[in-house]
Amino acid sequence: MAKKIICLCMDITDDDIARAIEEGFDHTETLKRYTAVLMGPCEGKVCAMNVLKEFARLTGKTAGELRVPTLRPPLRPLPLGLLAAKRD
Amino acid sequence: MRERILPRPDMPLHGPYDAVIVGAGVHGLGLAYNLAKRGMTHVAVFDKSYIGSGASGRNTTLIRSAFTTPEWITFFQESVRLWEGLSDELNFNVMFTQRGYLILALTEEKAELCRRAVPQQNRQSIPTRLVDTKEIKTIAPCIDTTAVRVGILQPTGGIARHDAVVWGYAAKAQKLGVEIHPFTEVTAIQVADGEVKGVDTSKGSVKTSLVVNAAGGHSPEVARLAGVEIPAKTYPLEAFVTEPLKPLLTPALICLETLTYLSQTARGEFVGGSEVDNIPPSHSIRSTFGFLELAAERVVQLIPALAQAALLRQWAGIIDMTPDLGPLLGEVEGIKGFVLDCGWGGYGFMASPAAGKLMADYLIDGVKPTQLVPFALSRFKENKTIREASLVVLMPEDEKPTGRAAAT
Repeated sequence: MAKKIICLCMDITDDDIARAIEEGFDHTETLKRYTAVLMGPCEGKVCAMNVLKEFARLTGKTAGELRVPTLRPPLRPLPLGLLAAKRD
Repeated sequence: MRERILPRPDMPLHGPYDAVIVGAGVHGLGLAYNLAKRGMTHVAVFDKSYIGSGASGRNTTLIRSAFTTPEWITFFQESVRLWEGLSDELNFNVMFTQRGYLILALTEEKAELCRRAVPQQNRQSIPTRLVDTKEIKTIAPCIDTTAVRVGILQPTGGIARHDAVVWGYAAKAQKLGVEIHPFTEVTAIQVADGEVKGVDTSKGSVKTSLVVNAAGGHSPEVARLAGVEIPAKTYPLEAFVTEPLKPLLTPALICLETLTYLSQTARGEFVGGSEVDNIPPSHSIRSTFGFLELAAERVVQLIPALAQAALLRQWAGIIDMTPDLGPLLGEVEGIKGFVLDCGWGGYGFMASPAAGKLMADYLIDGVKPTQLVPFALSRFKENKTIREASLVVLMPEDEKPTGRAAAT
């Protein structure tokens, strides 16, 4: 069967998510840290809905029951040089 | 079905326990593993959230033993020794890499500290050496050495993967019989006649005569459950990570004056932080833009090429800091069975392998290993505080340590 990519930044498939859950990473916060979903350059903006839906399906929960990991700032990646620029 | 690594949150209690540990971070889990390894297997570890949810999964993972006081050097040298074998011991890759640890001094004051520290470190068998700007350029050509006077290189220092340490300890401890209860809050510690009798948790009450406070940033509240005020305050600490870049920086890097720390992970991301002035004590883990501006400015100053690197994400954790910035290790006087492994400030992650082993030896043998002795709670009453001058920590003005000067 063809692979289904859930997280495009980190190439995480539906099988990867299922395997992580079997290994006990059955909470959104631990799943995130184990598979690196939500932590690629998209910071979850592309993958979060895919991840949460797949996670809910595999754990028999509804998406509304899940703890959604914090969306970390900045909203978009910013060059360090821009952040370091002196304010005038 | 694959083997389960993490604990099941719905497991019931099976007390009484030989030991209850509050906090399932690298300290709590590391201690549980070491207790079980030495034969004390009826141990329960409680955490009010998921395992590794506190500073264990939020720190910047730097590891060194190149400090300036004999007490810190001895403790952390034991830790580096244990780090070297940890992946094998746990049969879990914690990705400890000895890529070196480079300490930079910009002022004459800190340069002098470095010059005095190296002979002390060498006497204690740490293979550090003083490096001039020319050698720093060889080790890490990306560093702008214009403002640098001198550095210390510890070739045996490095970084590890924090979450993997949490999971590795958890998996091995459970195999040896330890119970881990995530999402289970300890709400009371029962003390009578000067002795620990048990704990109340959100899963019910359970008997034990030994409770260890390994709650990190929450250690002052946990101590209060036993009626103890410990000399530790909780502060937030922030960190950031960039997009992955090609290999640019080999050693982990700290700057003693700008209080900045940085490393490049195996995946290529730069992870780091910098100390922000005048942070009041709090449990806030909110990210601030002020931190981002300050950290970016200092990082770009150290490595100008990183001006082009995109910062992906920032986060925060909380740490418990004591007046001399050293940990609190051992039983609390007057409460038999209430034991501290807390107050680690920003140095808990790198200390965890040694803390786990030495605290387990202490609890099982009833004799304090020499490395633990200087860090007893009683040092604050006895005026035996330790002033470790190479810490990358900024304390509020009214909290500046008053301990004796470094021995080096």
